[in-house]
Amino acid sequence: MRRLCFSLASFFLAVTANAQYPGFAVLKNQDEFKQAFNAATKNTETIKSDFIQEKNISMLSDKISSRGKFWFKKENKVRMEYMQPFTYLMILNGGKIYVKDGQKENKVNTNSNKVFRQVNRILVDCVGGTILFNPDFQTRIWASTKSYLIELEPVAKNLKALYQKINIYIDKKDYTASSIDMFELSGDNSSIRFINKELNANIPDALFTIP
Amino acid sequence: MRIFLMRCLLFHSMACGIISCSSYRHMQKINASDDCLQKFKPRIQRALYSISVDVTGNHISGLLLIKTMPDSSTRMVFSNEMGFSFFDFGFSRENEFKVYQIIPQMDKKAVIKTLRKDFELMLFRNMPEKRRFTLQDSSLIYYGFPQTKGVNYYITDTNCSKLVKMQRASKRKAVMEAFMYLNQASVPDSVLIRHLNFQFSITLKKI
Repeated sequence: MRRLCFSLASFFLAVTANAQYPGFAVLKNQDEFKQAFNAATKNTETIKSDFIQEKNISMLSDKISSRGKFWFKKENKVRMEYMQPFTYLMILNGGKIYVKDGQKENKVNTNSNKVFRQVNRILVDCVGGTILFNPDFQTRIWASTKSYLIELEPVAKNLKALYQKINIYIDKKDYTASSIDMFELSGDNSSIRFINKELNANIPDALFTIP
Repeated sequence: MRIFLMRCLLFHSMACGIISCSSYRHMQKINASDDCLQKFKPRIQRALYSISVDVTGNHISGLLLIKTMPDSSTRMVFSNEMGFSFFDFGFSRENEFKVYQIIPQMDKKAVIKTLRKDFELMLFRNMPEKRRFTLQDSSLIYYGFPQTKGVNYYITDTNCSKLVKMQRASKRKAVMEAFMYLNQASVPDSVLIRHLNFQFSITLKKI
């Protein structure tokens, strides 16, 4: 009887898993993935990419799309420039965030604001390959034929109040993030898809200078 | 001397009170139909705005989606540029206001009430015809719609060819004013909402 229950439970778990992420299965050998992921990210100094962002507003059955350019340079420099349908610039450099929307500029020192520091770290960790070491999340790893999926569930109380989970899709070819999906508690989600990726291109530090 | 000073202060405060009382008092009550206001009413099926909010030296920007739903309710969703939602508000067809979602940092009664009233004025909500009154000064007509507290005014030129501005007023004076420019399809191209009793402004630009 106990064996039957266990078999049924395993069956339902497997069905649920497949229903949750079609084409993906829970990765059995996670250590192997972590080693390969670490080795690959060690060799990635810079990432230059275009991105397409889509926000799905579930209750309104609506979608807001935007696109722009993205730059990453080790260890913790990120520049995201939204170009369509609005202009918006965000630079993360060390512990500082610079934002320019329209004519207004804003600078935040993340060291003095815990939530900003945590949110800042998510983006840097996602693209920099260090997300598996982020203590603010519990991680589960899945795999398909083309991608790995790292599912991040917040354990930090303040992040739990913002996100249900964050999924990062990692390209099996080069172990870089191809997409980041952020799921809010409201049921809305935002996806940032990276396209035309260029690894280890020469990116001048000046791009990340906070004026 | 002290008594004289106190009398001066008393007189001064009384005078201020009377002057502030007179913000609308010098105007003449007239009988006018508010039919002409219909052409200034925003008709939004779906519109996306870049939004800037400035509150006492703090600045937030993002996107505001305004959408009319199949049940004729209107929803307003404010998110930052990266897609994170700050709030999701709605007005039903019967003008009932509902907070569908709001982040804990903004979930304050005063914040929600202020935003509700601002959107109500901008979207021409809560305009009971029975309680309407109309005032006129030398060059403007004020269509007043009493609210639970205060009055919403839609202010046009005397020919009602232009919506000059909108105001929310206490019994004595305007506490907020808004300027809205509609495109040919009666969708607001830009909106400026400015509070007069504290530093709080909202700017919307259609994208």
